[in-house]
Amino acid sequence: MNNILAIILKDTFTELQLKHRLKVLKSHLLKALFGGKEQFLSREDLNWLSSVSQTLQTFHKDNVYQILEELESQSSQLPLLTIYLPVASTDNICLQIASMARKTFQNPKIILSAKYDPNLIAGCALVWKGVYRDYSLRVKIEEKKEELLGNFKKFLK
Amino acid sequence: MEIINLILVIIIILALFAYLREYILRQKLQKTGDKLLNDLKEKGWETLHQSITRSQDMLGQAELEGIKVVASSRFNTQRMEERYGEELAEIVRQAQQAINNSQTQFAAFINNLGQEAQSARGVSEKATQERINKLFGNLEERLSDFLVETSQKTQASIELELRAARALIDTYKQGQLKLIDENILAMMEQTLATVLNKKLSLADHLDLIYEALEKAKAEKFIV
Repeated sequence: MNNILAIILKDTFTELQLKHRLKVLKSHLLKALFGGKEQFLSREDLNWLSSVSQTLQTFHKDNVYQILEELESQSSQLPLLTIYLPVASTDNICLQIASMARKTFQNPKIILSAKYDPNLIAGCALVWKGVYRDYSLRVKIEEKKEELLGNFKKFLK
Repeated sequence: MEIINLILVIIIILALFAYLREYILRQKLQKTGDKLLNDLKEKGWETLHQSITRSQDMLGQAELEGIKVVASSRFNTQRMEERYGEELAEIVRQAQQAINNSQTQFAAFINNLGQEAQSARGVSEKATQERINKLFGNLEERLSDFLVETSQKTQASIELELRAARALIDTYKQGQLKLIDENILAMMEQTLATVLNKKLSLADHLDLIYEALEKAKAEKFIV
């Protein structure tokens, strides 16, 4: 069970991505095991399904629902790192940041939730277990406000 | 029946006997009374006669005494009138003399009073002048003190007002400067945001984000 989740998490980094892939997996397995209408899957989804095809062999008609439920339950308990970015986040950016985060904090289960905040200017702000901490340029400016103002006034003189 | 008649007859006889006894007693009493009255009447007449005689004597004596008194009183009255006239003349003379003396004394008193009044007036005028001078002196001194005190108070009040106004201006100035600083900072942030948005590459952004992650690790924010 943990093995399946670890395999999924290997190339799944964001919260949205995880939810989408679990949904795709569920749809694909139910269709494969019980038949039904074919759901439209993107190329990327198909590629991902083929990359985990080895793992899919562990699913049978009698355990598919139980495993899927457990997967959903465990996925909701994964450590979630919310990151506020001053730039619009793409999958590529999220992938790079999440990889770096997992590497930095030595936790391969970290899931990223990226949000956009243009007021940060540069850098980022993090939310971990409900605590917000700002590491952006805005905070640095605020910290060095007096120094900056002093320099600006000197420049004006 | 006979006994009753007998009792009645006895009662009637007793009653008659009692009546007769009473009648006899009354007749006796009446005779004694009449005799006593006649004695008294005679004695009364005698007494009355004596009284009339005595009163006539007394009247004659009284008339005589009255004539004597009248004669004496006329004489005395005349003598008293003469004496009263003399005494009255003496009194009038003395009164005239007293009035003259009084007039003289009164004139002297009035004259003296006038002199004293003149003197008192002079003294009073002098005292009044002195008091007025003193009053003016005090008034001038107090007015001067009051003016000095008022001037000091006004100066202190103005200084206080000025200090308060300066404090208010300073506060306002500080507030405005703070506002200006905040505006400058906001402008700088805005400018930086605009400039960095254009100038910073994605790699630069990622570098800053990695740096932030490292810092979070160093701070043990994410364990």
